[in-house]
Amino acid sequence: MKKYELRKSVFGGNLHLVTPQRFLINYQHDLNQSQYEAVTSVNGPHLVIAGAGTGKTRTIVYRVAYLVELGVKPQDILLLTFTRKAAQEMLRRAAMLLDSRCESVAGGTFHSFANSILRKYAQLIDYESSFTILDQGDAEDTINLIRTRLRLDTREIRFPRKETLYDIHSKSVNTLTPIHDILAKEYPHYLEIEEEIQNLSSKYEVYKQKHNLMDYDDLLVNLIKLFKKREDIRNLISTKYKYIMVDEYQDTNRIQAEIIRLLAMKPDGTYSNENILVVGDDAQSIYAFRGATIRNILEFPETFPKCEIITLEENYRSTQAILDVANEILNRAKE
Amino acid sequence: MNRHKYKKVLYSKKPSGSMPQLVIADNENVQSKFVVQKILELREEGIPLEEIAVLFRSSYLSFDLEIELTKANIPFVKYGGFKFIETAHIKDLIAYLRVTENPKDVVAWNRILLLIDGIGPRNAEKIIDGILHHQSDRFWVEYHQYSDKVRELFDLLKEVATDLKTPSEKVDRIQAYYNAIFKKVYDDWRRREKDLEMFYAIAERYKDVPSLLTDLALEPPNESVSDVVSPGKENELLTLSTIHSAKGLEWKAVFIIYALDGRFPNSRAVDDPEELEEERRLMYVACTRAKEHLFITYPINIYDRDTGTVLSKPSRFLEGLGENLLDQWVITSEE
Repeated sequence: MKKYELRKSVFGGNLHLVTPQRFLINYQHDLNQSQYEAVTSVNGPHLVIAGAGTGKTRTIVYRVAYLVELGVKPQDILLLTFTRKAAQEMLRRAAMLLDSRCESVAGGTFHSFANSILRKYAQLIDYESSFTILDQGDAEDTINLIRTRLRLDTREIRFPRKETLYDIHSKSVNTLTPIHDILAKEYPHYLEIEEEIQNLSSKYEVYKQKHNLMDYDDLLVNLIKLFKKREDIRNLISTKYKYIMVDEYQDTNRIQAEIIRLLAMKPDGTYSNENILVVGDDAQSIYAFRGATIRNILEFPETFPKCEIITLEENYRSTQAILDVANEILNRAKE
Repeated sequence: MNRHKYKKVLYSKKPSGSMPQLVIADNENVQSKFVVQKILELREEGIPLEEIAVLFRSSYLSFDLEIELTKANIPFVKYGGFKFIETAHIKDLIAYLRVTENPKDVVAWNRILLLIDGIGPRNAEKIIDGILHHQSDRFWVEYHQYSDKVRELFDLLKEVATDLKTPSEKVDRIQAYYNAIFKKVYDDWRRREKDLEMFYAIAERYKDVPSLLTDLALEPPNESVSDVVSPGKENELLTLSTIHSAKGLEWKAVFIIYALDGRFPNSRAVDDPEELEEERRLMYVACTRAKEHLFITYPINIYDRDTGTVLSKPSRFLEGLGENLLDQWVITSEE
């Protein structure tokens, strides 16, 4: 009688994926050498430096397909992108390349990922799961409301506008910088009313919690709060997503980098999941005004010391004449 | 630390086409007219409008060009301006939906109460306090003490929250109520009306309100319809975009306008090395959007209010790029 032998689950452990005899996709043929390396390096932390037009999206799409072909459950792959449209588009392309399994990959932005987890566990951080998300305008209006209540609008000293107050508050939160430092750097003329601004800022925090409201920053901050308060939940999520990919890493902020760290590491600093790959281009980091920091990508190898760096340099978009100009602009950056 | 840590030199196997050009214009309007003329020429050469983009550092830098494009009957779409979700009338509609989902959503309550004739901030606050102290999700029951108009709102919310099921039914009912308010509050309601239709169309795609609200809050549709509808009627559209909004995109021909020192980099950024490097990366991102043709233009004799000086030099990021990299052009007018 012929026998089927049940293999020990490849997902019980971490790094024992069985390479199939034959892949459906000819990765080596479809990709250049460095893209191929990025696609097939599945274990351990990886940093892919992808210059403009070097087929970054293609690389991510193929990597999703590759992981699925290796037998990773699509639901256990997490793909975080700059916009949700980008994630949908990548997964759609992966599905076209391989098959519809790729559409079950968990994809979205940091905010949508945080939202989906918080809807489930909101009670654990004293929120209700029906919380409302405040966009920037709503957040400014809320701050204005509190300002009026505190009677800060009627004082003699000029008090900042609601947009400015929100900017100060949000910058402080998403760059993990004390309000004092934000004021000193960007609004030194408001240093004399620092105490009032601090007070307003903490009242705003209380108010949101009381009324079941979260602004954009809260989605991320509260996710971290949840992870830090409940190691069991952090561990659950971290164990679930065995393969994590992050796109546009050069435009992430400090809190987002912290989320990545918490997803991949245990509180004691050991990896709970070392299969993390981030893709980005430090030369294209342009969102500092929104709190993004180029440091995340520059310091990634320090946070994940075992990290391997793969650089994509072949550009498929532009003529060499255009690239010469672009390269030269970068070259002139002060050493 | 500003240095780009990851060294890379982009290269391409695409045959080199035309040389990138640096074009000086005597003033802003000459720059606009040049761009219009060149776009028409490119189109003659067989490059459709959707393969052409005009990029700029800040949204306001394209105003003059927009006028010239309209005169020349060149249809365009602009990215990086106002967002659909940020327009007041769309925020109104969303606020009605929000209170039916999260009755503690004070921000939304405040918005929809203030829309009612005769309700001021004080009145609104009183009503909101009443709602919050009701300690129940069924906030709309029995509010006889309020004026007819407030009761009308509660009746609406009750119907929307309990009787109607799908998001599109709910939105439809809300719009029926909101219509009169809309026409009263906004003088330019005709211009805004298309957005309401679009909102309904978006709602139709959803099965439940929470996911509609989450999507709108986390990733709003790009533009207001009034921005998308162009002067012309053709489907072919030229793209105008801030560099930030052009992230990840590509066109056959790209114009970078206002590459003028003091505008790009902005004069406010030049004293801070970190900000200056970010501006440099913006220039890099802009250049690497182009596939075949790159035109960088700058006007001279531009008065800068911030510094009280006249700006006439090309962006410092381009200074000294020799003729072997950038073809230098001046514009003369035909007599």
